[in-house]
Amino acid sequence: MAALDQTQVKEGVDQETVDAVREVGTYKYGWDTDIEMEYAPKGVNPDIVRLISEKNEEPEWMTEWRLAAFERWTQKEEPKWAMVHYPPIDFQDQYYYARPKSMEEKPKSLDEVDPKLLATYEKLGIPLKEQMILAGVEGAEDAPAEGRKVAVDAVFDSVSVGTTFQAELKKAGVIFCSISEAIKEHPELVKKYLGSVVPVSDNYYATLNSAVFSDGSFVYIPPGVRCPMELSTYFRINAENTGQFERTLIIADKGSYVSYLEGCTAPQRDTAQLHAAVVEIIVEEDAEVKYSTVQNWFPGDENGKGGIYNFVTKRADCRGDRSKVMWTQVETGSAVTWKYPSCILRGDESQGEFYSIAITNNYQQADTGTKMVHLGKNTKSRIVSKGISAGKAQNTYRGLVSMHPKAKDSRNYTQCDSLLIGDKCGAHTVPYIEVRNNSSRVEHEATTSKVDDDQLFYCRQRGMDEEEAVALVVNGFCKDVLQALPMEFAMEAQQLVAISLEGSVG
Amino acid sequence: MLEIKNLHVKLEEEDKQILKGVDLTVEAGKVHAIMGPNGSGKSTLSYVLSGRDGYEVTEGSATLDGEDLLEMEPEERAAAGVFLAFQYPVEIPGVGNMTFLRTAVNAQRKARGEDELSAADFLKLVRAKAKSLKIDADMLKRPVNVGFSGGEKKRNEILQMAMLEPKMCILDETDSGLDVDAMKLVAEGVNALRDEGRGFLVITHYQRLLDHIKPDVVHIMADGRIVKTGGPDLALEVENNGYSDILAEVN
Amino acid sequence: MALPEVKQTATEARLATLTMPDAGCTRAAREDALARVLEMGLPGRRDEYWKYTRPDSLVVPDATPAAVFADDESLVFSEFDRLKIVFVDGVFNADESDDLSMEGVSIDRLEDICCKDIHWAKDLYGVLEARGQTPVQRPLAALNTAFASDGVAIHVTGKPSKPINLIYRHASATSDAILHHVIRVESDAEATILETGPAASRFNKCMEIDIADNGTLHHVRAQGRDHERRAATHMFTRLGQESTYKSFTLTVNGVLTRNEQVIELTGDDAVAHVAGACVGDGDFHHDDTVFVTHDAVNCESRQVFKKVLRNGATGVFQGKILVKEGAQKTDGYQISQSLLLDDDSQFLAKPELEIYADDVACSHGSTSGAIDETALFYLRSRGVPVKDATNMLTLAFLAEAVDEIEDEALAEAIVTRLEGWLSRHS
Repeated sequence: MAALDQTQVKEGVDQETVDAVREVGTYKYGWDTDIEMEYAPKGVNPDIVRLISEKNEEPEWMTEWRLAAFERWTQKEEPKWAMVHYPPIDFQDQYYYARPKSMEEKPKSLDEVDPKLLATYEKLGIPLKEQMILAGVEGAEDAPAEGRKVAVDAVFDSVSVGTTFQAELKKAGVIFCSISEAIKEHPELVKKYLGSVVPVSDNYYATLNSAVFSDGSFVYIPPGVRCPMELSTYFRINAENTGQFERTLIIADKGSYVSYLEGCTAPQRDTAQLHAAVVEIIVEEDAEVKYSTVQNWFPGDENGKGGIYNFVTKRADCRGDRSKVMWTQVETGSAVTWKYPSCILRGDESQGEFYSIAITNNYQQADTGTKMVHLGKNTKSRIVSKGISAGKAQNTYRGLVSMHPKAKDSRNYTQCDSLLIGDKCGAHTVPYIEVRNNSSRVEHEATTSKVDDDQLFYCRQRGMDEEEAVALVVNGFCKDVLQALPMEFAMEAQQLVAISLEGSVG
Repeated sequence: MLEIKNLHVKLEEEDKQILKGVDLTVEAGKVHAIMGPNGSGKSTLSYVLSGRDGYEVTEGSATLDGEDLLEMEPEERAAAGVFLAFQYPVEIPGVGNMTFLRTAVNAQRKARGEDELSAADFLKLVRAKAKSLKIDADMLKRPVNVGFSGGEKKRNEILQMAMLEPKMCILDETDSGLDVDAMKLVAEGVNALRDEGRGFLVITHYQRLLDHIKPDVVHIMADGRIVKTGGPDLALEVENNGYSDILAEVN
Repeated sequence: MALPEVKQTATEARLATLTMPDAGCTRAAREDALARVLEMGLPGRRDEYWKYTRPDSLVVPDATPAAVFADDESLVFSEFDRLKIVFVDGVFNADESDDLSMEGVSIDRLEDICCKDIHWAKDLYGVLEARGQTPVQRPLAALNTAFASDGVAIHVTGKPSKPINLIYRHASATSDAILHHVIRVESDAEATILETGPAASRFNKCMEIDIADNGTLHHVRAQGRDHERRAATHMFTRLGQESTYKSFTLTVNGVLTRNEQVIELTGDDAVAHVAGACVGDGDFHHDDTVFVTHDAVNCESRQVFKKVLRNGATGVFQGKILVKEGAQKTDGYQISQSLLLDDDSQFLAKPELEIYADDVACSHGSTSGAIDETALFYLRSRGVPVKDATNMLTLAFLAEAVDEIEDEALAEAIVTRLEGWLSRHS
């Protein structure tokens, strides 16, 4: 048994994980809400764009902006470079706008929201009540007694159904509302920043989003303000054959701080659904933004049927000196993921970080990573990516680190690790490294291997079944990234890791 | 031989004064020890004397046999006879230890207008010196300090010192990371080099190294200055009572 | 699918300057290759595989003139006992070459093969190049197969007593050469191939290497010092069971060099190592593009590429390890590093892994940066002048690549060459 004694379970895997792993189930969020919906006609054209704008009661300039985007979109082609394969998407065979009938008159307060909608979020573990912590997240009862406040903006198909803690945030000067509300209430901010980080014609999906985005979240943190609570948006796709196109705009003014969380789920359906979001973050001097995502869209069934096609453009512009942004993502859902949360490090001494876990199982495909564009002096970036591939899935890290000639004395460190479970899946790494000055140092390391047999055996000898053992070891593999998440999310993410790998062994 | 007068040094990047007027004279043939708490400026002194980047001399002077050290490039100081045994010897992958030593020896000989050593003479010399320091042939073949244990690195420093035969040897925390046996070996190496024409400046936090390398003079350094100077007994006093008593007394 | 117009025009213009030689038993292969060129078109600026290197000057109908440098790299191995095969501006020169007969190997000129109907090389000529066109297109290699005007077929059947040195002399400032060699190493046979010299103002070289089970091929190359030369080279290597391929390339100067290595490990337990050291100054552009495919069990591959760049030089590395489904127990390693000696130089890298088998250990690393200041100070504190210390650290940086040369004497010759460059340029 000497070998056993020498085997160590990966450091950092704790009892909590073990317990969480024991409770694994299949996709927990696959149910749907039976609610009367109002749809725009299928397809996309200038009339639909105008209709969406009209439904949101937008000013003329916004409508024009959208129409210009639509015009650009018709001239663009779908990108083909990602290592993902899916049948052609018929962009005219989708609904671009779907909202619950009960939302026709925007509720004035949370009390007026349709109980069916409230129940939906309650069931998802995201009750739209102003309470201390995200209840329903297992393990939340272990949270510190004083708890933590999390404000939630809940987006259901094409509309925001409500935003909690708005009054309390307002006292601090923080604006947290749906983007549709912001367009009406804070046009000067929206006009100034919308499309300033992700230009209208940035890429095929971002351009489509610019034309048809229906809702999303808006955050503005005024100078010197540390946002008093975590902000979060919970995206739920419910309607069938409907695409969700949300738009998020976060502005952290000088010296401010905010931590923002994003969660997403969708019902289990046989046909694939489209999700094309755009997130723009502006970080001014000395400001800091943490953006965490747990993406758990329906991944399709074990035969690869259904699931969300997730084409997302996320970018942060560190405009000010000493500004900082940190992206953390746990990508477990979606049939196809195409997503590269990026940082433009424009300000001197600005910092960008990207922590990612991407898990693919069955027939899932993920092509995800980041771009770190160093423009300012003394800028720093760090990339930690953990890809896990099981079943017949394909998992690709794609990234760019670019040091411009003027980005003197800058640093990048990249660590990309891939883990393979089973011999029918794939793990790929496609980094681009461009160094155009010599005072900057760039280091990139990547490894690919399989789950360590000794570790698995050790766990199993101690009584875990193979799936538990795999989940445990994989959680250890992901520890560096899980630690970067806010606590509530970290626990949820640990369980997701286990659930996502269900059926991958034996 | 080594004369430091009113030396003031600050960090180049920050506005932080490290040395605030150091006065010190080391005579040929003598061993001076500098002791002091962490952060007192001991290592800075060694780096400034050997010419490391990142420090700015704002006032004062440092000369070796009358020559201004502060004006010289690091390699010129080495050729003039300054040797620093590093607290953390640097690992240089890809450069063989032997190549490194030979390049250094010949560069210094050349700088002093002497003939370069032939390969055979060099080999003979290095083998003899290595043997006395218990450095085996394998260590000489490996890249400089790469994969060396703490003790091996320090012995390698002393080997370099023995090969380069400097006038002024500065030992920066040479005892750090060494067990008793390794320290004895290093001390023996140093003692073997003690010579009428050679000065030593031994920087150390603890007294224990001074059991093996007997100093003639002991200085206590605190907050960028030498605050007390005495004989070997001063080191024992530190050993027994710690720094706080001495510092309190000085203040 | 029709080619984009720009590409179509460029391809037609280039093809108009070329004529297919009397090809004998290679005719079919050449015609197939021409069809590939017409289908793919020659490389253009917008091709992803040419993202970091502009192919224009390799594609234009006429070669850009390049001055002839007297003391060229063809002399690197002049001290060695070797069998010399000399090409001047891409044309075989019998006078300067040795007698091509040697025990354990048979060597034929491409011209001689082309007038025969049957020759062993028929089964190799253009075959590995064609295989190497997927998943990434390499039109310049197909162009080479179709139009190569000279070259040799080397059949290694035993263990020849000395290396075979392909010497490429550059004599005319307007030379434009296309050479194609095929090498077959039989079971248990072993040989060393040396390649030296700039060859021509513009050089397109293709080498197809087929190594049978237990065969071994060593390859050491020193590309010429003629600064104005341009070169696109392709080496396609297929390895059988327990066979070994080790290749090293030294590139000193050259305004444009693109070296592609396409390696396919098709037999279990095969080993392939490719390495390169390049040093460049000024308007120097050097591109190593490597594609290693693991298609058998328990194979090992290593890619070690080091680049030293200064005065605005550019280094490019595109390297890929592809592990196919079933290629278990693969050990794949890749490192690409650049040392930028000043702020004007740049390093552009795309090190890729594509893996479809789970029981593998694959890794890659890539770094870029300036000389290590701490190490530099350490050396200077020991009395080494800053120039020598910098050169010493630069050589140390390159050492990991040079160490891939198994023969110590050959490695020593390369180091001497590097030292020469450093002393000339510092």
